[in-house]
Amino acid sequence: MAIGKKPIVVEQIRKTRMAEFLSKGRRLSGRGLLDYRPIKIETGLIEKASGSAKVSIGNTQVIAGVKVEMGTPFPDTPDQGLLIVNTEVLPISSRNAEPGPPSEDAIELARVVDRGIRESKMIDLKKLCLLPGKKVLAVFIDVSVLDIDGNLFDTISYACTAALATAKIRKYDVANEEVKATEEMVPLPIRTTPISVTMARIEDVLIVDPDLEEEALMDARLTLASDHDDNICAGQKGCPGGFTVEQIMQARDTALVKGKENRDLLKREIGLA
Amino acid sequence: MPGVTRKYVVPGELIVDGKYRLGANVYANQDKVYSTRVGLAEISRGEVRVIPLSGVYIPRVDDFVIGKITDYSAFAWEVDIASCFLAFLPAQSVFGRDYSPAQDSMLDRFKVGDLIAAKIAAFDRTRDPLVSVSGPGLGLINKGEIVKIMSTKVPRLIGKKGSMIKTVEAGTGCRLSIGQNGLIVVMGPPEGIAKALETIRLIEQEAHTADLTQKVEALLAESGGA
Repeated sequence: MAIGKKPIVVEQIRKTRMAEFLSKGRRLSGRGLLDYRPIKIETGLIEKASGSAKVSIGNTQVIAGVKVEMGTPFPDTPDQGLLIVNTEVLPISSRNAEPGPPSEDAIELARVVDRGIRESKMIDLKKLCLLPGKKVLAVFIDVSVLDIDGNLFDTISYACTAALATAKIRKYDVANEEVKATEEMVPLPIRTTPISVTMARIEDVLIVDPDLEEEALMDARLTLASDHDDNICAGQKGCPGGFTVEQIMQARDTALVKGKENRDLLKREIGLA
Repeated sequence: MPGVTRKYVVPGELIVDGKYRLGANVYANQDKVYSTRVGLAEISRGEVRVIPLSGVYIPRVDDFVIGKITDYSAFAWEVDIASCFLAFLPAQSVFGRDYSPAQDSMLDRFKVGDLIAAKIAAFDRTRDPLVSVSGPGLGLINKGEIVKIMSTKVPRLIGKKGSMIKTVEAGTGCRLSIGQNGLIVVMGPPEGIAKALETIRLIEQEAHTADLTQKVEALLAESGGA
């Protein structure tokens, strides 16, 4: 994946070694094929945001903030609140990242993470409706990528989930077609905890949580998000290569198993479990 | 070493007051010598210099470096030498003066992703550095394990007249190619490589400490016993 202007070039001798290691079921970093790097989650770092989280998976690090404002609904969904995810890859995150308009890959990040949250129905958007067709609450999630070492999809996804799950918003009272903000703070209407799991295929081997080097060498990428009832609710495939049916099935099983592990970890870290 | 005073300094800190020769990473103002880097200041035999604790590699002519081919055009390869500068390897220096893009295929020599052992051929800070692969021991590196350390730690890894390299090579049975830019290629048996990488990491982390040699020897002796 090329977040910046130039693709990352991996040394030929590293490529050879990686192929050698993967064929033996090992990875260059010493991890197992289906092992995540250590995941660290901190919440409530940004005082002025409704909710925030900083998540790191290995050396990859992102920070997410949630802001809730009043807005008008889209004409086709007059009774639903708005959810907008925006990611920014900061120039400090990598020597390949540059300031300026986001690259295609950076836009994909926000789209995939948005889809995971939206399609799992993590937030009950209908409960964010104040006056149908006129006033709803809009949830903005802004993500800044601080450090890139592969698997931004999951890192951003966990950061958004953690920030939303711990967010506190003002309670609004609706009476006689009028909306009044109260002093009371309430959590967002959370229904489930979506967790995405990103897998990469290198040759015939499927690995989870690819690091930067593995991402540069992967033939195909698959991100699957599941909710707490083990429903796969969103997916995104990347890179030119494809998957066989068996590989997709294996990826689905992995996504559910790893998803559950990471969901439990995330809930424990943010104090929900 | 007798007659050497060392102390940690930050940029702009006064190191010493008096007539001294100025070494690397210092500047003087009316006989007061200040540091320009965060590092270890050394005052010995009338000279003041600062060994930086961190920093990127700044090319110097004739430095031995290890680089990665990242791209090529009709006339030169682009070489990543782990610096803030991108180096170029002109095709003419590989194929000879009569190089012609129509006849010679650059891909026959180096492909994107290849590692090369090279020498800095020219660099004057106004243009990107040029590297050369003509010379003994230079050219394509096609085996071994690559590891990167901070370029400021390279002198400690090499040691006085190569003493540290010899210690590590003897202790692990590996051969080390150390680029001044902090890239190192380790060649040898797999167990030896693992041990060598561990030792290199230790040297990088503890480069500024005084009893480094003892620590390295202790680590290498551990492997001998196991």
